[in-house]
Amino acid sequence: MTSKITIDPVTRVEGHGKVTVHLDAEGAVQDAFFHIVEFRGFERFVQGRPYWEAPVLVQRLCGICPVSHHLAAAKAIDQIVGIDPEDLSSTATKLRRLLHYGQVLQSHALHFFYLASPDLLFGFDAPPEKRNVAAVAVEHKELATRGILMRKFGQEVIRAIAGKKIHGIAAVPGGVHKTFTLQERDYFLQENDTPSIDTLIQWAQETVNFIKSYHDKHYQWLDTFARYPSGHLGLVGPAGELELYHGRLRAIDANGNKTLNDIPNNAYIKYFAEGVAKWSYMKFPYLKHLGLRDGWNRVGPLARLNVCDSIPTPLAHKEWVEFRNYTNGKPNNSTMHSHWARLIEILYCAEVIKVLLEDDAVLGDDLLREGPRRPEGIGIIEAPRGTLIHHYQVDEKGMITKCNLIVSTTHNNEPMNRAVRWVAQNVLNKQPRITEAMLNEVEVAIRAYDPCLSCATHALGKMPLHLEVFDHEGNLLDERYRN
Amino acid sequence: MNAIGTDHNWPSGPLNRKDTLLIGIGNSSRADDGLGWSFLEAVENEPGFEGDIEYRYQLQVEDAALMANYALVIIVDAFQGRLAEGFQWQACRPAPQFEFTTHALAPASVLFLCRDLYGATPTTYLLAIEGAEWGLKEGLSPSALANLNAAVASFRQLAWPAGKETA
Repeated sequence: MTSKITIDPVTRVEGHGKVTVHLDAEGAVQDAFFHIVEFRGFERFVQGRPYWEAPVLVQRLCGICPVSHHLAAAKAIDQIVGIDPEDLSSTATKLRRLLHYGQVLQSHALHFFYLASPDLLFGFDAPPEKRNVAAVAVEHKELATRGILMRKFGQEVIRAIAGKKIHGIAAVPGGVHKTFTLQERDYFLQENDTPSIDTLIQWAQETVNFIKSYHDKHYQWLDTFARYPSGHLGLVGPAGELELYHGRLRAIDANGNKTLNDIPNNAYIKYFAEGVAKWSYMKFPYLKHLGLRDGWNRVGPLARLNVCDSIPTPLAHKEWVEFRNYTNGKPNNSTMHSHWARLIEILYCAEVIKVLLEDDAVLGDDLLREGPRRPEGIGIIEAPRGTLIHHYQVDEKGMITKCNLIVSTTHNNEPMNRAVRWVAQNVLNKQPRITEAMLNEVEVAIRAYDPCLSCATHALGKMPLHLEVFDHEGNLLDERYRN
Repeated sequence: MNAIGTDHNWPSGPLNRKDTLLIGIGNSSRADDGLGWSFLEAVENEPGFEGDIEYRYQLQVEDAALMANYALVIIVDAFQGRLAEGFQWQACRPAPQFEFTTHALAPASVLFLCRDLYGATPTTYLLAIEGAEWGLKEGLSPSALANLNAAVASFRQLAWPAGKETA
């Protein structure tokens, strides 16, 4: 018998993660689901609005990565004003890249410091009062303050380019709103109340060394926990190198065979479809030619380091080589290695930021370009959590008639369900009661993806994780909340 | 914000100081979720407030470093639930309350980090304002607007206890 699962629509405004585990008559795990109450109405919200509003409006999709939505929308709207990525001025392109790499850096730093480090430093079987960032602050003060300063550096880059961390305007159709001043640029080259970019690179290297050292001691757990074969998707540059701002879409299968061969952004609609499941509001993107069952892909740091052929900055590339050698050049399917990959990307971002800061083009005044109007635009970017797609169509008056967004967490919907299923089968199997440690193992698997459960929803205090176990007749055996 | 006591903890002492930080949390594209930002706009629109103002979607870890620079912090946020007067003042104390994603950080948690990392515990109050609508919409519902006005009036009274003209 299959139990009936419902999601209360009220939770749509709350941001809510729910895991249900279903047992067979012998108490073995039959299936497990991660229900995400994802917010989709924004696509309709922007319809009827003028196209030039889109990059500003979509910032309110997500309070954590508004810059990613801002830039993905701007890239799409560029095309509506007749500008392809290569047509942007050098100054506009480099300022946007600087903004984007600052955004990824701060988001990754937050993830590692806030989410990953408590599990790694104290172990996921540590008592909950210890397994959080507060304990890190008490027992590893330097790591905690570094985490905050790395995050702050990225936030200050955003503030310098966009004007404000909230309500800021950086990208406008066909370019950028303002240039960088010499004073703004020099702030990041020198030690201030935030570290200089050179210090940041040094800290990023030390943090990668930390995770490698940790891995040496705990590789059995890190290598196997929530590991499952999957496809991987991400943008790559012209030479197959890691690229976060603009590139071609590449996907590989679990063995490293290309399943999407560096297609241009505008071709995404030909290759991607989105499936639905009655137990989740969130869709399941997949590659059409592989079908719903086999065409899903992980996105994010682990996927990006799997699909690329190199990293175009020297220190991060050296780390990437070591990372890839660990799996003999094959795709790395270990969920917990996402943390390792994320820290390599922090180093990569810091190196790119240094290159951009030292390039006088960011001080230029050639900010805007315009070409013949078009009815459609597609912008794809690598957001911190993975590939983010914005697609708009406009009428002759410039009003948005259609908007399609595929956000990173949507790509990771099936992967997160696989990770949860792994935990259910390996940890919860034939266990009549849910312990605190079990709940945390479910959390650890989900945390590796840091899902955006309800973008830009008012979430203070309202993002619990709810784990339920049902017997073979659909009766609730046990449940546990994490508030 | 969804957990709050039942009684006001009225702030003591004047609120209108240079070492006051006013933080509004919310999202103006989600109807009454924008109450925190609307409150800040109301304060910004009338001259005389000497403290600093910051808009936030959510609080984050670096806000601990920011708050450490102030003696008084007021965090204004929408509230999903009933409040007797449509708004409520609540004292905030450091406490380790943490979520399982990076997408939210409770005021008490930020204050906890502020104390433990930066050795500062600014006097902190939450000002919760009751909202009613949370869908995709710009602008506040009529009841939220009324609650906002009441909350702003309360703030004004506490910021300029002798009246604004003589402040």
